[in-house]
Amino acid sequence: MRLTIQMLISHGRVARKMGLGPESRINMLRNILTGLVRHERIETTRGRADEVRFYAEKLIDYAKKGDTDEKAMKMANFWLTEKDLIPKLFKVLAPRFETQPKAYTRMARIPNRENLDKAAMAVLEYKGNPFPPLQTAKRDNDLTLINQLLKGYREQRAQQAAAKVEA
Amino acid sequence: TMACRTVCQLLQRRLASSAASVRLSAAEERGRRSAVFSREQARQRSLYPRTEKIEVTLQIPGLQGTLLVMNKGLSTPHSCARHLTEWYVTSSALALVDGKPWSLHQPLTQSCSLSLLAFKDTDPLLVNQAYWRSCAALLGQVLQDAFKEDFSVELLRLPEVLVTSGAFCCDVVLDPQLDAWNPSEESLRSLTRGAQQLIHRDLPWEPLEVAPPVALEVFSHSRCKQEEVEEKSAQSPKGTVILYRCGDHVLLSGGPLVARTGLCSQYEVTAIHRLGEGKWGLHRRAQGLSLPLQQQVRVEVPTGSTNEAISDTLTPPSAPEQTPPQQ
Repeated sequence: MRLTIQMLISHGRVARKMGLGPESRINMLRNILTGLVRHERIETTRGRADEVRFYAEKLIDYAKKGDTDEKAMKMANFWLTEKDLIPKLFKVLAPRFETQPKAYTRMARIPNRENLDKAAMAVLEYKGNPFPPLQTAKRDNDLTLINQLLKGYREQRAQQAAAKVEA
Repeated sequence: TMACRTVCQLLQRRLASSAASVRLSAAEERGRRSAVFSREQARQRSLYPRTEKIEVTLQIPGLQGTLLVMNKGLSTPHSCARHLTEWYVTSSALALVDGKPWSLHQPLTQSCSLSLLAFKDTDPLLVNQAYWRSCAALLGQVLQDAFKEDFSVELLRLPEVLVTSGAFCCDVVLDPQLDAWNPSEESLRSLTRGAQQLIHRDLPWEPLEVAPPVALEVFSHSRCKQEEVEEKSAQSPKGTVILYRCGDHVLLSGGPLVARTGLCSQYEVTAIHRLGEGKWGLHRRAQGLSLPLQQQVRVEVPTGSTNEAISDTLTPPSAPEQTPPQQ
């Protein structure tokens, strides 16, 4: 092909390059995805976590088709390198996300790695995992004005309900 | 003619003796009180002809022990906040000087430790109480402005209501001609609009610590306010009374008020109840609800407004302890 300057500039190119080439990239993602299915919460670099998210969710969509589906089984067989995870995928993860249409994973950014490379890290997890939550919702102090007003309101309602029950 | 002259003299003497009870129009009365307030304020400022410096130690998380050198009798906690970032200026509602609650616009007179309180602190109890008092004071001001010049409006002592009770109250005695008047939805809405206009003007509540004679002069045309002044001066440790001025209204309060009217938002006057006959006439209690600017709430309510939904469940408060006059 023509070796133009445009080839060296990557403005607007969204596809990430990982590892030694496209095949290496797929293999790396396969390994990370296997780890995610096994442990349900893993810690990797930000770029890899972002890439794996797409494949993790697509895998769940395939798993939802059921293990009798040939295509679904082929996909699971390809993407999960450790074959003891295939039953886990179809029997544990697929039923967990039956009611949800999409968004099965959650990614949270964490401080950079301590090594020399200071890589930007992230934690990727499947929702509904048994571990404690990554980020608790920050609640306002109970003594703020709104919370005090709401507390008084709730108490009044409880009193009125109790009075009605007595009457 | 002799009879005429004696009759005229008698009439003049009777009119002269009741000069104190002759009602000036409401606007003139307000102007007179504001003028006395300004005069006293100027006099207190003139007590410090030379700028003397005081040292103010800050007790703010993150700025512990910072020393500010301010002017005695002129600098206020507000001006201390202006030495820090803009966030402190907009968010602080009250100040604690040597552990005592202090209005943001009250001048500091000696070296002290200062901490600025906001609505989002871990312990905003004092701020909430001050905010509730300020909203009640605002309600009183709106009620005084709302009625026409022919009707007199007498503000009674602002009751100290807890925040958990759900609304702030302002006791008022209207002109006897309005005894049969009951507020309609339209009138409550117009009162709310009046309050929102005051909030929009962002007027500061200027505090002034005065001796009782000056306070009695300010409220010389209002007997119930004079009684309140006497009670407050008896209760205070130094025997002084703190007056607050907002715009051109001068009022008394049970404690410090927040810095400016602009800190209130989502203000609504919810109801005006009759409390029955009291010492000064038919007592009425006006009730309202408001949230600070930094803690606004947006709630999906099917009918009516947020505040009405909350205040609809409140029952009217009980009548005052004073026995009605025997008739």
